Amino acid sequence: MAENGTGNIDLVDRGIVRSWLTWGFFWAVLAPIIGLILSLMFNYPTFLSTQYSHFGRLRPLHVNGVILGVFSALFFGLAYYMVPKLTGIRMHREGWSRYPLYLWNGTLLAAFTLLLMGYNKGLEVAEFPNPLPVLLALALFVIAYQVFMTIARRKEEKIFVSLWYIISALVWTGMNLLYGNLVIPYVAPGINNVALHGLYIHYVVGLWITPAGLAVIYFFLPAAARSPLYSHKLSLVGFWSLAFFYPFVGIHHYLYSPIPAWTQTVAIFASMMLIIPVLTVVVNFFGTLKGNWGSFQRDFTVKLMIFGAAMYFIGSVQGSFEALRSLQQPTHFTDFVIAHSHATVFGGYVIFVLAACYYVWPRVAGAPFHAPTAQWSTWMIMGGISAMILILVTQGLIQGTALMAGAEFVDTVASMKPYWFLRMLAGLTMDVGIALVGINLYLTARRAGEGRP
Amino acid sequence: MKRAKTIALVAGFGFFFLALLLQGILPYLMEENRVTTVAKTVRTPLGEMAEVTAAALPYTDLTARGRQVYIREGCWYCHSQYLRPTAGETRRWGPVSEFGEYAHDLPHLFGTRRIGPDLTRVGGKYGDDWHAAHFFDPRMVVPDSVMPRMDWLFAPDAVAGRRVLSDEGKAVTAYVQNLGMNKGKWRDNFPYQIAERGSSSLESAAAIRHGKAVYARRCAGCHGDKGDGKGAAPAAVLFGVALPRDFTAGAYKFRTTPTGSVPLDADLERTIAVGIRGTAMPPWFNLADEERRDVVHFIKTFSPDFIQYPPDAPIAIGRPPKPTPELISRGKQVFAEMQCEVCHGSEGRGDGPSSQEQVDDSGNKIPPANFTRGVFKSGPRPGDIFRTFMTGLSGTPMPSFGDSFESPDDGWALTYFVLSLSADGKP
Repeated sequence: MAENGTGNIDLVDRGIVRSWLTWGFFWAVLAPIIGLILSLMFNYPTFLSTQYSHFGRLRPLHVNGVILGVFSALFFGLAYYMVPKLTGIRMHREGWSRYPLYLWNGTLLAAFTLLLMGYNKGLEVAEFPNPLPVLLALALFVIAYQVFMTIARRKEEKIFVSLWYIISALVWTGMNLLYGNLVIPYVAPGINNVALHGLYIHYVVGLWITPAGLAVIYFFLPAAARSPLYSHKLSLVGFWSLAFFYPFVGIHHYLYSPIPAWTQTVAIFASMMLIIPVLTVVVNFFGTLKGNWGSFQRDFTVKLMIFGAAMYFIGSVQGSFEALRSLQQPTHFTDFVIAHSHATVFGGYVIFVLAACYYVWPRVAGAPFHAPTAQWSTWMIMGGISAMILILVTQGLIQGTALMAGAEFVDTVASMKPYWFLRMLAGLTMDVGIALVGINLYLTARRAGEGRP
Repeated sequence: MKRAKTIALVAGFGFFFLALLLQGILPYLMEENRVTTVAKTVRTPLGEMAEVTAAALPYTDLTARGRQVYIREGCWYCHSQYLRPTAGETRRWGPVSEFGEYAHDLPHLFGTRRIGPDLTRVGGKYGDDWHAAHFFDPRMVVPDSVMPRMDWLFAPDAVAGRRVLSDEGKAVTAYVQNLGMNKGKWRDNFPYQIAERGSSSLESAAAIRHGKAVYARRCAGCHGDKGDGKGAAPAAVLFGVALPRDFTAGAYKFRTTPTGSVPLDADLERTIAVGIRGTAMPPWFNLADEERRDVVHFIKTFSPDFIQYPPDAPIAIGRPPKPTPELISRGKQVFAEMQCEVCHGSEGRGDGPSSQEQVDDSGNKIPPANFTRGVFKSGPRPGDIFRTFMTGLSGTPMPSFGDSFESPDDGWALTYFVLSLSADGKP
């Protein structure tokens, strides 16, 4: 099987895929640059310290920019590629595809402007004011409808696991955005608000980034490696264990808080159980390359995805153990947690979608990308994120254990500064790597344009 | 199609709502998770500390506005607002978070990262002057801070050449000062911050060198490199409560030694550990003992008095008696006999007939203490108040009454009477 599904490339609406990916790369340049600026502020606290650009205003731009901008826009582009390929028919109501594109990216532009101006709801993820998050949900529902109807009319008998993930991600996240922005800010003050919010913020990573990102690697890794998926059974075990355990983990953000201890314990248990889907998923990916490791050397998509799978494994297992009370005592509130979020969100999922772009873009643009630049970007991304994870984990353990030993708080902050400087360098390396991917693909498109009559 | 629907329904809706039900809605519906009261520390009419169960107080217009500013500026990304019963947080920041004290928080501001310290109980730890200086430029008072400057929280016009907080700045300060206040006067009962006696280390060249390094990192922003109280903070921002101590004068308020004498090393160490409540001087109980003890030796080098006139023998404080209603009424008599009301007012509100005329040795106006606020600069323990009567506050109009009392019992009676003026709880 050369590629999952029987769909022909001509079934794909190349224009909409290109548009989403282009927006994705716009965010992929913007959000990491904001991350770089933020990391500079740790060592140069007066840098850009104006009312509209200080740390407290920029941080939500980085987090939302990566989750809703970089990852989501690239994922939507890839989804418009995957769904026709997997169903064997064109996207349902293809003419509608432009509306979510404009709605999603326009909303994000407005949202980021409002965040800079100080309109902040005070609840992490999509903290910009209503009704903007509702508009995002609307865009999701339109895409969900298209995907759903396309699947309903599919020519393929089987539903490949990527489609399962795409459907559930769209449904979950549409609901979650409504829940997080129409319910949480208005009901249940105090500790109950904390509990509801804990669920919400982990639904964003667990029920959006994870299923959507896994949909991408399940499709593109076998496609790029030209090997069949190692085990479909295993992928189902992974899907159902993820769907079952992931919704319960959110409270682990607030252990040792006044939230009822038993709900904390449920969250810890569910967090540990997540090792099951993580293991099945990773075994499946590595198994897919069994006997075909040559493609890991040849193909940038495979190389980045396998690296991403390793990062995903490390970051996820770290996350599971981080939920244990004993490890959380020193590490919670420190950069150890930031290491986890960067290892999974960037090291795993953003790398999955970037890798998939190397596969999709030449096919929708009609020209091959520049391999030496891809080589550079791949090594910079892999080197940068690896260094960053090591630095952040070290920082978290140093600060956490120092605080447990009774160190004065500001002293522990001061001891972080050399590491923050190194982290900034690691981030810079990553950012240049990502920008190189974008520039490379832009030049690819230009070359293809010149080649056309 | 059927299978796709099953997936969407079971996985999409089912598990999502199951988790929401189990961990969000179900706990919310349980009686025990509807608590809106909190264990509050209060002062009894006998001047003692007690713990009562009290309702969590809603935000006022001012603190609610300050909370909006706090959210708008994203303070909650770097400052958490919950204390765990682990990792030494109860020692570093105060008592563990309680369910009921968050009753009026919507949205909650728990936070998930501590780039800066936790703020659950920061109210009352620093004075308003400190917060103003810290908002203006955090590195003036905490050189290692990575917090952004917030100079837009200041009025455009300077007062006497110094910046003052705008209405927004005052609101966010009021909000921060209110954090943890649902627990009442817990700080007056916080074992790490209150101490009647200090401690000292051996004076040596190494100790002074170490003390100098500590001073540069923790003290110079207010007290100045020369120890003259003219640091960067009071030069940039208007200090409304009290100016930083000028160490070159060698006059110290809080001592166990008699009027006119320099303090003991342990007296200075105690003031550093417990801070001076209401002023910009924070408590430094979180430092290692050596840092506090050694910085004392360095501070003493600013004034030759410590070498020329060694401290006199300390005045015995003794153990406070158990307060009784009779003792309180005797204290009220002593209050009148000693003419405390001339400065502090007949109700102890600091509004006596000559309260407006009081100046300290450097000629700055110094308002007499308002006892009803329950904020005691010298410390909240009976021994702290008693000590002030016995030694006076050098450099201020507050004299020593050690020789005026008929017996130490009168001093204790007056102590408990003064403490009882800030009573806010039942005995």
